[in-house]
Amino acid sequence: MTPETASVTPDVLLAPLDPAYLADENPARTGLRWSAFLAADALPRAAALLLEAGWHLEDICGLDVREGLAAVYHFDRMAAPGRLAIRVMVDRDAPMLPSIADIHQGAEWHERETADFYGIAFTGNPNPAPLLLPEGMEGYPLLKDAAARAPLAALLAVPGREDTVLRKAEGFTLLEPAEDAKPAKAAKAKPAAGEEGSDNA
Amino acid sequence: MHSADTLRSRPTSCPAASADGGCADDQIAGDGYTCRFERGARPESLILNMGPQHPSTHGVLRVLLELDGEYIVRAEPVLGYLHRMHEKMAEVKNPAQFMPNMGRVDYLHALAWNWAYVGAVEKLAGIEIPERAEYLRVITCELNRISSHLLWWGAYLLDLGAFTPIMYAFDDREMLLDLLQLMTGSRLTYSSFRFGGVYTDASPAFVQGVRQFVPHLRSRLPMYTALVTENIILRRRIEEVGVIPPDMVTRYGASGPVARGSGIAYDVRRAEPYSVYDRFDYEIPTRAEQCSMARYMVRMAEIEQSLRIIEQAIDSLPEGEHMHPKAPKPSFKLPAGESYFAVEGARGKIGVWIASDGGKTPYRVKLRAPGFSNLALFAECARGTLLADAVAILGSLDMVIPEIDR
Repeated sequence: MTPETASVTPDVLLAPLDPAYLADENPARTGLRWSAFLAADALPRAAALLLEAGWHLEDICGLDVREGLAAVYHFDRMAAPGRLAIRVMVDRDAPMLPSIADIHQGAEWHERETADFYGIAFTGNPNPAPLLLPEGMEGYPLLKDAAARAPLAALLAVPGREDTVLRKAEGFTLLEPAEDAKPAKAAKAKPAAGEEGSDNA
Repeated sequence: MHSADTLRSRPTSCPAASADGGCADDQIAGDGYTCRFERGARPESLILNMGPQHPSTHGVLRVLLELDGEYIVRAEPVLGYLHRMHEKMAEVKNPAQFMPNMGRVDYLHALAWNWAYVGAVEKLAGIEIPERAEYLRVITCELNRISSHLLWWGAYLLDLGAFTPIMYAFDDREMLLDLLQLMTGSRLTYSSFRFGGVYTDASPAFVQGVRQFVPHLRSRLPMYTALVTENIILRRRIEEVGVIPPDMVTRYGASGPVARGSGIAYDVRRAEPYSVYDRFDYEIPTRAEQCSMARYMVRMAEIEQSLRIIEQAIDSLPEGEHMHPKAPKPSFKLPAGESYFAVEGARGKIGVWIASDGGKTPYRVKLRAPGFSNLALFAECARGTLLADAVAILGSLDMVIPEIDR
């Protein structure tokens, strides 16, 4: 990392990857400085660009929402702190993401944990064995029942959140306010741990 | 490589069974982890299973080692023996109900986890904190950091074969536990921070106790140095052992004394300032050597810096409320939205991410444990070192397994 790369902001850094969405965030409000939506296949390239510019991976958070599964990658820089959230949507029926463990080696465990909790397969992970849950265990504990799933916009695009959108691809609707957000909340009955095999078996 | 289908039914024992035309279970004793690990080994290697009950693995961590004589060819930590699924519990309890969990993720620096969670909730819900409570949080969190470092110090030396130091460390730590008990009501698994303040106000006995403790511990530190830090046996055991170059810190997302022992002056209290830390005069100790001794020296210097912070905070402790008058009732509802709050724990950057849809309980809570990323680099760091050095390296990472497994 050189002093020049340390000051490059993610909107410039990630521009070649054509993010579907990129916003300036208010850290006092969300703890984030930037957020972006990337296509899954752009992830390894983004990870490489970020590592080169001195970013480290903080964590990978799985998320089960109405639009499908999602993974949120939090990156930060030690030289010039500011958190970047990269969000990637994952197909619920074929939950796969490319591994970035060959770039950020610390991702290996984060990916295995996300695989444990959400059943997302990270192709290319050097050791895709369960990390925290027992081998042979059935089910994925953090998947939600269909009725309990909230739309992504209900979590991320709440009224009063003053993001400055820097890029937004044509047809990007993930953060459009959902029309039927209320009924979903009413139906939000959390299933007991053993009862959620119905839609993830 | 694997497909989604193979992950959907998690492997039960030997994944290479079908590829090799015979299951290895009758040749290799042990579970799937041993089996996979041993299959990747060179024929002349010795496979050693260290833990999960090995005394130097603190808690229950298991490490698989491939040895060539006394040298480590390959290492693989196996986690999960202390996994409690805190993130699931966070989704089925409201924030106030989840607070006690925060005392149990990292039981050595429980108040840092308290802070990370209340911080994320307060940020999301826009809850204000009185100034006095901010100071009380700083004082108790720093006292807790010292008690964590003292326990690490004693236990690390125990790992390395020195029995006496832990007796000294526990003697001083006992005074800290007494002080923290006054403020939190507990001695180890504290959960005394509240949304909008802290549970109890500082009593005169607490303030006086802190004032007495700071010079007391300061007077003990030269003895620690003379007794242990300058000991030639210790230095030979840990100097130049477990070298972690700065790029390894970045590639694994390591933080805390592990990063600072590699010369990176990164501390969340400075990098992402929270609470009133910007009002105090203190240093971020770093060492350039990158070895286990460097991490040792960083922690010892941090004890002194925490004392400086505590001293300033207790001297400038403002009068006022310890709970904000408008602090929410325990049954309050989180508004919809997300918030990420990071604090500097004894082991590094603790992060809590909350995503809420406005329901009774958070929609998703992610707990980012510093020890998780710090331990992840062990396999790379230990390659090519002696088996005895593996113990020195593991200890220098200051692992708390319940935090790593969560």
